[in-house]
Amino acid sequence: MRTLTLDKAGIASTIQDGGRLGTLHAGIAPAGAMDPPALKAGQYCLGHRAGEAAIEIAYGNVRATTSHDCALVVTGAPAMVLIDNEPVPAKSIQTLGAGQTLTIGPPSEGIYSYLHVSGGFNTRPIFASRSTSPREGIGGLHGGYLRDQDVVPLSDWTPLIETYRADPGLCSIEQRAVLTLRYVPGYQYDELAPALIQRLNEDHFEVTAKANRMGITLNGPLLKTGVESLLSEATCQGAIQIPPDGNPIVLMQDRQTMGGYPIPGAVIGSDCVRLAQARPGQKIRFSACTPQEADNIRWLEHHYVETRLR
Amino acid sequence: MPFTIGPAGDTAMRLSFQEPPSPHLTQLLLQLQRTARAYFLDALSDSVVGYATLTLFFIPLSLQRDPVTAWLKKTAFSLCNSKQAQAELNKEAVVLPVFYDPAVAPDLITVADDLGITIDALITLHSATPYFAYATGFAPGFCYLGTLDPRLSTQRLSTPRLRVPAGAVAIADQQTAVYPCESPGGWRIIGACPVTLFDLAATPASTLAVGDSVRFEAIDEQAYCSLGGRL
Repeated sequence: MRTLTLDKAGIASTIQDGGRLGTLHAGIAPAGAMDPPALKAGQYCLGHRAGEAAIEIAYGNVRATTSHDCALVVTGAPAMVLIDNEPVPAKSIQTLGAGQTLTIGPPSEGIYSYLHVSGGFNTRPIFASRSTSPREGIGGLHGGYLRDQDVVPLSDWTPLIETYRADPGLCSIEQRAVLTLRYVPGYQYDELAPALIQRLNEDHFEVTAKANRMGITLNGPLLKTGVESLLSEATCQGAIQIPPDGNPIVLMQDRQTMGGYPIPGAVIGSDCVRLAQARPGQKIRFSACTPQEADNIRWLEHHYVETRLR
Repeated sequence: MPFTIGPAGDTAMRLSFQEPPSPHLTQLLLQLQRTARAYFLDALSDSVVGYATLTLFFIPLSLQRDPVTAWLKKTAFSLCNSKQAQAELNKEAVVLPVFYDPAVAPDLITVADDLGITIDALITLHSATPYFAYATGFAPGFCYLGTLDPRLSTQRLSTPRLRVPAGAVAIADQQTAVYPCESPGGWRIIGACPVTLFDLAATPASTLAVGDSVRFEAIDEQAYCSLGGRL
Protein backbone atom coordinates (compact mmCIF):
# COMPACT_ATOMS: atom_id res chain seq x y z
CA MET A 1 0.00 0.00 0.00
CA ARG A 2 1.24 3.46 -0.85
CA THR A 3 1.42 5.71 2.18
CA LEU A 4 2.45 9.16 3.34
CA THR A 5 3.97 9.24 6.83
CA LEU A 6 3.69 12.47 8.78
CA ASP A 7 6.81 12.81 10.91
CA LYS A 8 5.48 16.19 12.01
CA ALA A 9 1.73 16.73 11.56
CA GLY A 10 1.51 20.48 12.35
CA ILE A 11 -0.82 22.08 14.90
CA ALA A 12 -4.21 21.52 13.25
CA SER A 13 -3.94 19.42 10.09
CA THR A 14 -6.97 17.51 8.80
CA ILE A 15 -7.94 15.63 5.68
CA GLN A 16 -10.52 17.73 3.81
CA ASP A 17 -12.44 17.68 0.55
CA GLY A 18 -15.43 19.79 -0.48
CA GLY A 19 -17.37 18.66 2.62
CA ARG A 20 -20.66 16.85 3.22
CA LEU A 21 -24.01 17.64 1.66
CA GLY A 22 -27.30 16.74 3.31
CA THR A 23 -26.16 15.87 6.85
CA LEU A 24 -27.26 19.06 8.64
CA HIS A 25 -30.65 17.62 9.62
CA ALA A 26 -28.78 14.78 11.39
CA GLY A 27 -26.73 17.29 13.40
CA ILE A 28 -23.53 16.77 11.41
CA ALA A 29 -21.64 19.88 10.29
CA PRO A 30 -20.67 20.10 6.61
CA ALA A 31 -16.90 20.29 7.31
CA GLY A 32 -14.80 20.66 4.12
CA ALA A 33 -11.85 22.87 3.18
CA MET A 34 -11.82 26.35 4.75
CA ASP A 35 -10.45 27.69 1.43
CA PRO A 36 -12.38 25.89 -1.33
CA PRO A 37 -10.66 27.74 -4.23
CA ALA A 38 -7.27 26.56 -2.90
CA LEU A 39 -8.60 22.99 -2.77
CA LYS A 40 -9.85 23.30 -6.35
CA ALA A 41 -6.54 24.75 -7.52
CA GLY A 42 -4.64 21.69 -6.28
CA GLN A 43 -7.16 19.29 -7.79
CA TYR A 44 -6.78 21.13 -11.09
CA CYS A 45 -2.97 21.01 -11.01
CA LEU A 46 -2.83 17.26 -10.47
CA GLY A 47 -5.77 16.34 -12.73
CA HIS A 48 -7.82 15.12 -9.78
CA ARG A 49 -11.54 14.54 -9.61
CA ALA A 50 -13.54 17.29 -7.87
CA GLY A 51 -14.10 15.02 -4.86
CA GLU A 52 -10.41 14.32 -4.17
CA ALA A 53 -9.17 15.24 -0.69
CA ALA A 54 -6.07 17.13 0.45
CA ILE A 55 -4.41 17.64 3.81
CA GLU A 56 -5.45 21.04 5.16
CA ILE A 57 -2.56 22.48 7.16
CA ALA A 58 -2.97 25.42 9.54
CA TYR A 59 0.18 27.58 9.88
CA GLY A 60 2.45 25.03 8.15
CA ASN A 61 5.19 23.14 9.98
CA VAL A 62 4.67 19.71 8.48
CA ARG A 63 7.30 17.10 7.63
CA ALA A 64 6.44 13.96 5.70
CA THR A 65 7.92 11.03 3.79
CA THR A 66 6.33 8.72 1.26
CA SER A 67 6.63 4.98 0.57
CA HIS A 68 6.48 5.39 -3.24
CA ASP A 69 7.41 8.14 -5.68
CA CYS A 70 4.55 10.59 -6.03
CA ALA A 71 3.75 14.06 -7.36
CA LEU A 72 2.52 16.77 -5.06
CA VAL A 73 1.54 20.42 -4.95
CA VAL A 74 0.93 22.79 -2.05
CA THR A 75 -1.80 25.41 -2.58
CA GLY A 76 -3.51 28.02 -0.40
CA ALA A 77 -1.49 30.05 2.11
CA PRO A 78 1.99 30.43 0.55
CA ALA A 79 4.39 28.31 2.59
CA MET A 80 8.00 27.46 1.79
CA VAL A 81 8.19 23.90 0.45
CA LEU A 82 11.44 21.93 0.70
CA ILE A 83 12.35 18.49 -0.58
CA ASP A 84 15.35 17.03 1.24
CA ASN A 85 15.98 20.54 2.57
CA GLU A 86 16.11 22.09 -0.92
CA PRO A 87 13.51 24.82 -1.48
CA VAL A 88 11.29 24.25 -4.52
CA PRO A 89 9.21 26.89 -6.37
CA ALA A 90 5.89 27.70 -4.74
CA LYS A 91 2.68 26.17 -6.11
CA SER A 92 4.60 23.99 -8.56
CA ILE A 93 4.16 20.27 -9.08
CA GLN A 94 7.05 18.40 -7.52
CA THR A 95 8.08 14.77 -7.36
CA LEU A 96 8.70 13.38 -3.92
CA GLY A 97 10.76 10.20 -4.23
CA ALA A 98 10.37 7.27 -1.86
CA GLY A 99 12.48 8.02 1.19
CA GLN A 100 12.78 11.75 0.45
CA THR A 101 11.61 14.22 3.05
CA LEU A 102 9.00 16.89 2.35
CA THR A 103 9.03 19.92 4.60
CA ILE A 104 6.33 22.61 4.58
CA GLY A 105 7.34 25.72 6.51
CA PRO A 106 5.10 28.35 8.07
CA PRO A 107 3.19 30.44 5.48
CA SER A 108 4.25 34.02 4.88
CA GLU A 109 0.62 35.11 4.86
CA GLY A 110 -2.77 33.49 5.40
CA ILE A 111 -3.39 30.39 7.51
CA TYR A 112 -4.50 27.34 5.54
CA SER A 113 -2.27 25.52 3.03
CA TYR A 114 -3.31 22.36 1.18
CA LEU A 115 -1.04 19.41 0.45
CA HIS A 116 -2.30 17.49 -2.57
CA VAL A 117 -0.67 14.18 -3.47
CA SER A 118 -1.18 12.60 -6.91
CA GLY A 119 -4.06 10.13 -6.79
CA GLY A 120 -5.39 11.54 -3.55
CA PHE A 121 -5.74 10.06 -0.10
CA ASN A 122 -7.39 6.68 0.28
CA THR A 123 -9.21 7.11 3.58
CA ARG A 124 -12.76 5.83 4.03
CA PRO A 125 -15.44 8.32 2.95
CA ILE A 126 -18.28 8.84 5.43
CA PHE A 127 -21.54 10.22 4.05
CA ALA A 128 -19.81 10.52 0.68
CA SER A 129 -16.96 12.71 1.95
CA ARG A 130 -13.44 12.21 3.31
CA SER A 131 -13.58 15.46 5.27
CA THR A 132 -12.68 15.33 8.95
CA SER A 133 -15.09 16.59 11.62
CA PRO A 134 -12.90 16.40 14.74
CA ARG A 135 -15.69 17.32 17.18
CA GLU A 136 -17.86 14.49 15.89
CA GLY A 137 -14.94 12.13 15.32
CA ILE A 138 -16.07 11.55 11.75
CA GLY A 139 -14.03 11.17 8.56
CA GLY A 140 -10.35 11.67 7.80
CA LEU A 141 -7.84 9.07 8.97
CA HIS A 142 -9.19 8.43 12.47
CA GLY A 143 -11.85 11.10 12.89
CA GLY A 144 -9.53 13.69 14.41
CA TYR A 145 -6.67 16.11 13.76
CA LEU A 146 -3.67 14.37 12.22
CA ARG A 147 -0.95 13.45 14.72
CA ASP A 148 2.81 13.00 14.47
CA GLN A 149 3.72 9.60 13.01
CA ASP A 150 0.28 9.13 11.40
CA VAL A 151 0.44 7.03 8.25
CA VAL A 152 -2.05 8.23 5.63
CA PRO A 153 -2.94 5.74 2.88
CA LEU A 154 -2.55 7.01 -0.69
CA SER A 155 -4.70 5.72 -3.51
CA ASP A 156 -3.31 3.17 -5.94
CA TRP A 157 -3.98 5.18 -9.07
CA THR A 158 -1.95 8.16 -10.14
CA PRO A 159 -3.07 10.66 -12.74
CA LEU A 160 -1.19 10.74 -16.05
CA ILE A 161 1.61 13.27 -16.17
CA GLU A 162 -0.04 14.78 -19.29
CA THR A 163 -2.97 15.88 -17.11
CA TYR A 164 -0.75 17.98 -14.83
CA ARG A 165 -1.31 21.71 -15.23
CA ALA A 166 0.24 24.88 -13.93
CA ASP A 167 -1.18 26.70 -10.90
CA PRO A 168 -4.39 28.51 -11.94
CA GLY A 169 -3.57 31.48 -9.68
CA LEU A 170 -6.67 31.52 -7.51
CA CYS A 171 -5.93 33.52 -4.40
CA SER A 172 -8.18 34.08 -1.41
CA ILE A 173 -5.66 35.99 0.69
CA GLU A 174 -6.06 39.74 0.60
CA GLN A 175 -3.51 42.12 2.01
CA ARG A 176 -5.69 44.98 3.13
CA ALA A 177 -5.64 47.18 6.19
CA VAL A 178 -9.36 46.58 6.59
CA LEU A 179 -11.06 43.55 5.08
CA THR A 180 -14.70 44.13 4.11
CA LEU A 181 -17.06 41.23 4.76
CA ARG A 182 -20.30 41.47 2.83
CA TYR A 183 -23.27 39.91 4.58
CA VAL A 184 -26.91 39.18 3.81
CA PRO A 185 -29.17 40.54 6.59
CA GLY A 186 -31.63 38.00 7.90
CA TYR A 187 -32.66 35.95 10.95
CA GLN A 188 -33.16 38.43 13.84
CA TYR A 189 -31.92 41.51 11.88
CA ASP A 190 -35.26 43.33 12.16
CA GLU A 191 -35.66 42.49 15.86
CA LEU A 192 -32.28 43.84 17.00
CA ALA A 193 -31.90 47.43 18.19
CA PRO A 194 -31.12 49.90 15.35
CA ALA A 195 -28.15 51.22 17.35
CA LEU A 196 -26.64 47.73 17.47
CA ILE A 197 -27.11 47.24 13.71
CA GLN A 198 -25.51 50.62 13.13
CA ARG A 199 -22.45 49.59 15.16
CA LEU A 200 -22.26 46.31 13.23
CA ASN A 201 -22.35 48.18 9.92
CA GLU A 202 -20.08 51.10 10.74
CA ASP A 203 -17.47 50.05 13.29
CA HIS A 204 -14.27 48.08 12.81
CA PHE A 205 -13.72 44.66 14.33
CA GLU A 206 -10.63 42.54 14.72
CA VAL A 207 -10.03 38.82 14.19
CA THR A 208 -9.01 37.24 17.52
CA ALA A 209 -6.95 34.14 18.27
CA LYS A 210 -10.23 32.40 19.17
CA ALA A 211 -10.57 31.28 15.58
CA ASN A 212 -10.79 27.77 14.26
CA ARG A 213 -12.75 25.61 11.84
CA MET A 214 -15.91 26.00 13.96
CA GLY A 215 -16.00 29.77 14.06
CA ILE A 216 -14.05 32.99 14.16
CA THR A 217 -14.53 35.24 17.18
CA LEU A 218 -14.21 38.98 16.59
CA ASN A 219 -13.29 41.77 18.95
CA GLY A 220 -14.62 45.28 18.70
CA PRO A 221 -17.44 47.33 20.11
CA LEU A 222 -19.51 44.99 22.26
CA LEU A 223 -22.80 44.14 20.58
CA LYS A 224 -25.00 43.69 23.63
CA THR A 225 -28.30 42.22 22.47
CA GLY A 226 -29.67 41.59 25.95
CA VAL A 227 -30.81 38.20 24.66
CA GLU A 228 -29.50 35.16 26.56
CA SER A 229 -30.92 32.55 24.24
CA LEU A 230 -33.59 32.05 21.59
CA LEU A 231 -35.44 28.96 20.42
CA SER A 232 -32.86 26.72 18.74
CA GLU A 233 -32.83 26.82 14.96
CA ALA A 234 -30.55 25.89 12.07
CA THR A 235 -27.36 27.92 11.64
CA CYS A 236 -25.79 28.57 8.24
CA GLN A 237 -22.29 29.14 6.84
CA GLY A 238 -21.07 32.63 7.71
CA ALA A 239 -23.82 33.33 10.27
CA ILE A 240 -22.81 36.24 12.54
CA GLN A 241 -23.79 34.85 15.92
CA ILE A 242 -23.92 37.24 18.89
CA PRO A 243 -23.55 35.51 22.30
CA PRO A 244 -24.47 37.37 25.52
CA ASP A 245 -20.88 38.68 25.98
CA GLY A 246 -21.32 40.82 22.83
CA ASN A 247 -18.36 39.52 20.81
CA PRO A 248 -19.67 38.26 17.46
CA ILE A 249 -18.63 34.83 16.13
CA VAL A 250 -18.76 34.09 12.40
CA LEU A 251 -19.73 30.42 12.03
CA MET A 252 -17.61 28.32 9.71
CA GLN A 253 -17.40 24.77 8.30
CA ASP A 254 -17.34 22.81 11.61
CA ARG A 255 -20.10 24.88 13.26
CA GLN A 256 -22.82 23.46 15.47
CA THR A 257 -25.77 22.81 13.19
CA MET A 258 -28.26 24.39 15.64
CA GLY A 259 -27.86 27.63 17.55
CA GLY A 260 -29.82 29.74 19.98
CA TYR A 261 -28.07 33.13 19.87
CA PRO A 262 -29.29 36.15 17.89
CA ILE A 263 -27.98 36.37 14.31
CA PRO A 264 -28.29 39.63 12.32
CA GLY A 265 -27.20 37.98 9.06
CA ALA A 266 -24.62 35.79 7.37
CA VAL A 267 -21.36 36.60 5.56
CA ILE A 268 -21.46 35.57 1.88
CA GLY A 269 -19.51 32.48 0.78
CA SER A 270 -16.58 34.15 -0.95
CA ASP A 271 -15.95 36.55 1.94
CA CYS A 272 -16.04 33.60 4.38
CA VAL A 273 -12.98 32.29 2.51
CA ARG A 274 -11.16 35.62 2.90
CA LEU A 275 -12.06 35.65 6.59
CA ALA A 276 -10.88 32.04 7.02
CA GLN A 277 -7.45 33.03 5.68
CA ALA A 278 -7.27 36.24 7.80
CA ARG A 279 -4.90 36.07 10.75
CA PRO A 280 -5.63 37.26 14.29
CA GLY A 281 -5.26 41.06 14.42
CA GLN A 282 -6.71 41.57 10.92
CA LYS A 283 -9.16 44.50 10.96
CA ILE A 284 -12.52 43.85 9.36
CA ARG A 285 -15.76 45.68 8.73
CA PHE A 286 -19.19 44.41 7.77
CA SER A 287 -21.13 45.65 4.79
CA ALA A 288 -24.75 44.65 4.27
CA CYS A 289 -25.71 43.54 0.77
CA THR A 290 -29.02 42.49 -0.73
CA PRO A 291 -29.66 38.81 -1.50
CA GLN A 292 -29.62 39.75 -5.20
CA GLU A 293 -26.16 41.35 -4.86
CA ALA A 294 -24.97 38.21 -3.05
CA ASP A 295 -26.28 36.07 -5.91
CA ASN A 296 -24.54 38.28 -8.50
CA ILE A 297 -21.24 38.07 -6.61
CA ARG A 298 -21.55 34.28 -6.40
CA TRP A 299 -22.21 33.98 -10.14
CA LEU A 300 -19.30 36.27 -11.01
CA GLU A 301 -16.86 34.45 -8.73
CA HIS A 302 -18.06 31.08 -9.97
CA HIS A 303 -17.53 32.23 -13.54
CA TYR A 304 -14.07 33.58 -12.67
CA VAL A 305 -12.99 30.33 -10.98
CA GLU A 306 -14.35 28.16 -13.79
CA THR A 307 -12.57 30.33 -16.36
CA ARG A 308 -9.26 29.97 -14.52
CA LEU A 309 -9.77 26.21 -14.28
CA ARG A 310 -10.51 25.73 -17.97
CA MET B 1 -50.61 31.45 11.91
CA PRO B 2 -48.36 34.37 10.97
CA PHE B 3 -44.90 33.62 9.55
CA THR B 4 -41.99 35.41 7.91
CA ILE B 5 -39.74 34.29 5.05
CA GLY B 6 -36.20 35.58 4.59
CA PRO B 7 -32.67 34.69 3.57
CA ALA B 8 -30.30 32.62 5.74
CA GLY B 9 -27.02 33.65 4.20
CA ASP B 10 -26.45 33.47 0.45
CA THR B 11 -27.64 29.91 -0.25
CA ALA B 12 -30.47 29.21 2.20
CA MET B 13 -34.00 30.44 2.92
CA ARG B 14 -35.66 30.51 6.31
CA LEU B 15 -39.31 30.38 7.27
CA SER B 16 -40.12 31.39 10.84
CA PHE B 17 -43.45 31.15 12.67
CA GLN B 18 -44.32 33.79 15.28
CA GLU B 19 -45.86 31.15 17.47
CA PRO B 20 -44.73 29.29 20.60
CA PRO B 21 -43.37 25.80 19.89
CA SER B 22 -45.86 22.96 20.07
CA PRO B 23 -46.08 19.42 18.66
CA HIS B 24 -48.67 20.76 16.25
CA LEU B 25 -46.31 23.46 14.94
CA THR B 26 -43.52 20.88 14.58
CA GLN B 27 -45.82 18.57 12.60
CA LEU B 28 -46.62 21.47 10.32
CA LEU B 29 -42.92 22.22 9.83
CA LEU B 30 -42.22 18.53 9.10
CA GLN B 31 -45.01 18.44 6.55
CA LEU B 32 -43.65 21.58 4.93
CA GLN B 33 -40.16 19.99 4.90
CA ARG B 34 -41.49 16.84 3.17
CA THR B 35 -43.37 18.92 0.61
CA ALA B 36 -40.27 21.06 -0.07
CA ARG B 37 -38.07 17.97 -0.55
CA ALA B 38 -40.52 16.52 -3.05
CA TYR B 39 -40.84 19.83 -4.88
CA PHE B 40 -37.26 21.12 -5.07
CA LEU B 41 -35.64 17.66 -5.43
CA ASP B 42 -31.89 17.88 -6.10
CA ALA B 43 -31.75 21.67 -5.90
CA LEU B 44 -32.32 21.31 -2.15
CA SER B 45 -29.16 20.07 -0.44
CA ASP B 46 -30.62 19.94 3.06
CA SER B 47 -33.42 21.20 5.26
CA VAL B 48 -33.53 21.64 9.03
CA VAL B 49 -36.54 21.93 11.33
CA GLY B 50 -36.03 24.12 14.42
CA TYR B 51 -38.47 24.84 17.26
CA ALA B 52 -40.40 27.31 15.12
CA THR B 53 -38.41 27.48 11.88
CA LEU B 54 -37.70 25.57 8.70
CA THR B 55 -34.42 26.36 6.93
CA LEU B 56 -33.99 25.23 3.33
CA PHE B 57 -30.40 24.87 2.11
CA PHE B 58 -29.93 24.99 -1.66
CA ILE B 59 -27.08 23.80 -3.86
CA PRO B 60 -25.13 27.03 -4.52
CA LEU B 61 -26.31 28.78 -7.71
CA SER B 62 -29.56 26.81 -7.86
CA LEU B 63 -31.52 28.99 -5.44
CA GLN B 64 -34.04 31.16 -7.27
CA ARG B 65 -35.20 33.47 -4.54
CA ASP B 66 -38.45 34.86 -5.90
CA PRO B 67 -40.05 31.56 -6.98
CA VAL B 68 -38.87 29.86 -3.76
CA THR B 69 -40.31 32.65 -1.61
CA ALA B 70 -43.60 32.57 -3.48
CA TRP B 71 -43.81 28.77 -3.22
CA LEU B 72 -43.01 28.79 0.50
CA LYS B 73 -45.62 31.45 1.16
CA LYS B 74 -48.32 29.62 -0.77
CA THR B 75 -47.49 26.17 0.63
CA ALA B 76 -47.11 27.28 4.26
CA PHE B 77 -50.37 29.19 4.01
CA SER B 78 -52.32 26.26 2.63
CA LEU B 79 -50.80 23.81 5.15
CA CYS B 80 -51.73 26.12 8.03
CA ASN B 81 -55.31 25.90 6.87
CA SER B 82 -55.45 22.13 6.39
CA LYS B 83 -56.13 19.43 8.93
CA GLN B 84 -53.49 17.12 7.41
CA ALA B 85 -50.65 18.18 9.67
CA GLN B 86 -52.57 16.87 12.63
CA ALA B 87 -52.57 13.32 11.29
CA GLU B 88 -49.30 11.95 12.63
CA LEU B 89 -49.53 13.38 16.13
CA ASN B 90 -50.42 10.13 17.84
CA LYS B 91 -47.31 8.19 16.89
CA GLU B 92 -46.25 5.25 19.03
CA ALA B 93 -43.62 6.27 21.57
CA VAL B 94 -39.98 5.15 21.33
CA VAL B 95 -39.20 3.65 24.75
CA LEU B 96 -35.70 4.29 26.07
CA PRO B 97 -34.52 2.36 29.16
CA VAL B 98 -32.75 4.52 31.76
CA PHE B 99 -30.69 3.52 34.78
CA TYR B 100 -31.27 6.34 37.28
CA ASP B 101 -28.47 5.89 39.80
CA PRO B 102 -25.73 8.07 41.33
CA ALA B 103 -23.19 5.52 40.03
CA VAL B 104 -23.84 6.73 36.46
CA ALA B 105 -25.50 10.10 37.15
CA PRO B 106 -23.25 12.60 38.94
CA ASP B 107 -26.01 15.22 39.31
CA LEU B 108 -28.88 12.96 40.45
CA ILE B 109 -28.53 13.62 44.19
CA THR B 110 -27.88 17.36 43.88
CA VAL B 111 -30.76 17.86 41.44
CA ALA B 112 -33.18 16.03 43.76
CA ASP B 113 -31.90 18.11 46.69
CA ASP B 114 -32.18 21.39 44.75
CA LEU B 115 -35.72 20.55 43.70
CA GLY B 116 -36.64 19.43 47.21
CA ILE B 117 -37.93 16.03 46.12
CA THR B 118 -36.78 12.44 46.65
CA ILE B 119 -34.81 10.59 44.00
CA ASP B 120 -37.75 8.22 43.56
CA ALA B 121 -40.10 11.14 42.97
CA LEU B 122 -37.66 12.59 40.44
CA ILE B 123 -37.50 9.27 38.58
CA THR B 124 -41.29 8.97 38.58
CA LEU B 125 -41.73 12.52 37.26
CA HIS B 126 -39.07 12.11 34.55
CA SER B 127 -40.39 8.77 33.29
CA ALA B 128 -44.11 9.43 33.71
CA THR B 129 -44.96 11.32 30.53
CA PRO B 130 -43.94 10.87 26.89
CA TYR B 131 -41.80 13.64 25.44
CA PHE B 132 -41.92 15.19 22.00
CA ALA B 133 -38.81 15.52 19.81
CA TYR B 134 -38.73 19.20 18.79
CA ALA B 135 -35.37 19.36 17.03
CA THR B 136 -32.14 17.51 16.36
CA GLY B 137 -28.71 19.06 16.20
CA PHE B 138 -25.94 20.37 18.47
CA ALA B 139 -24.23 16.99 17.97
CA PRO B 140 -25.00 14.00 15.73
CA GLY B 141 -28.14 12.23 16.94
CA PHE B 142 -28.78 14.76 19.75
CA CYS B 143 -32.51 15.33 20.11
CA TYR B 144 -34.15 18.17 22.05
CA LEU B 145 -37.06 16.60 23.98
CA GLY B 146 -39.85 18.55 25.68
CA THR B 147 -41.68 19.49 27.64
CA LEU B 148 -40.29 18.59 31.03
CA ASP B 149 -42.58 18.65 34.08
CA PRO B 150 -42.14 22.16 35.56
CA ARG B 151 -41.32 20.51 38.90
CA LEU B 152 -38.11 19.19 37.27
CA SER B 153 -37.01 22.51 35.79
CA THR B 154 -33.35 23.16 36.68
CA GLN B 155 -30.61 25.50 35.57
CA ARG B 156 -27.65 24.40 33.51
CA LEU B 157 -24.26 23.93 35.17
CA SER B 158 -22.51 27.29 35.44
CA THR B 159 -19.39 25.67 33.97
CA PRO B 160 -20.19 23.01 31.35
CA ARG B 161 -18.48 19.62 31.69
CA LEU B 162 -15.74 19.01 29.15
CA ARG B 163 -16.71 15.34 28.91
CA VAL B 164 -20.25 14.05 29.11
CA PRO B 165 -20.29 10.30 28.43
CA ALA B 166 -22.37 8.79 25.63
CA GLY B 167 -25.78 7.69 26.93
CA ALA B 168 -26.01 10.39 29.63
CA VAL B 169 -29.65 11.34 30.26
CA ALA B 170 -29.78 15.00 31.16
CA ILE B 171 -32.18 17.84 31.91
CA ALA B 172 -32.02 21.63 31.58
CA ASP B 173 -34.79 24.22 31.83
CA GLN B 174 -37.88 22.54 30.38
CA GLN B 175 -35.92 20.15 28.17
CA THR B 176 -34.43 16.68 28.45
CA ALA B 177 -32.10 14.71 26.17
CA VAL B 178 -29.78 11.74 25.86
CA TYR B 179 -26.21 12.54 24.79
CA PRO B 180 -25.65 10.13 21.85
CA CYS B 181 -21.86 10.55 21.81
CA GLU B 182 -19.27 11.75 24.28
CA SER B 183 -19.19 15.55 24.10
CA PRO B 184 -18.94 18.67 26.23
CA GLY B 185 -22.22 19.64 27.88
CA GLY B 186 -23.82 21.82 30.52
CA TRP B 187 -27.03 19.93 31.21
CA ARG B 188 -27.51 18.06 34.51
CA ILE B 189 -27.03 14.30 34.29
CA ILE B 190 -29.71 12.26 36.07
CA GLY B 191 -29.34 8.83 34.43
CA ALA B 192 -27.75 6.66 31.77
CA CYS B 193 -29.34 5.03 28.74
CA PRO B 194 -27.62 1.87 27.41
CA VAL B 195 -29.18 2.15 23.93
CA THR B 196 -26.97 3.38 21.07
CA LEU B 197 -28.66 6.47 19.60
CA PHE B 198 -26.20 7.27 16.83
CA ASP B 199 -24.50 4.65 14.70
CA LEU B 200 -22.83 5.52 11.39
CA ALA B 201 -23.32 1.94 10.16
CA ALA B 202 -27.10 2.05 10.70
CA THR B 203 -29.75 3.54 8.39
CA PRO B 204 -30.83 6.02 9.52
CA ALA B 205 -27.75 6.71 11.64
CA SER B 206 -29.82 8.44 14.29
CA THR B 207 -32.43 6.48 16.31
CA LEU B 208 -34.54 9.56 17.05
CA ALA B 209 -36.03 12.01 14.58
CA VAL B 210 -37.93 15.28 14.89
CA GLY B 211 -41.61 14.56 15.58
CA ASP B 212 -40.96 11.32 17.47
CA SER B 213 -42.59 10.61 20.79
CA VAL B 214 -40.13 9.34 23.42
CA ARG B 215 -40.77 7.76 26.81
CA PHE B 216 -38.19 6.83 29.45
CA GLU B 217 -38.46 3.60 31.43
CA ALA B 218 -36.56 3.09 34.68
CA ILE B 219 -34.43 -0.08 34.76
CA ASP B 220 -32.22 -1.64 37.45
CA GLU B 221 -28.47 -2.18 37.38
CA GLN B 222 -28.75 -5.75 36.12
CA ALA B 223 -30.94 -4.78 33.17
CA TYR B 224 -28.68 -1.80 32.45
CA CYS B 225 -25.59 -3.99 32.30
CA SER B 226 -27.27 -6.72 30.27
CA LEU B 227 -28.29 -4.09 27.68
CA GLY B 228 -24.62 -3.15 27.35
CA GLY B 229 -24.55 -0.24 29.79
CA ARG B 230 -21.26 0.58 31.49
CA LEU B 231 -20.90 1.59 35.13
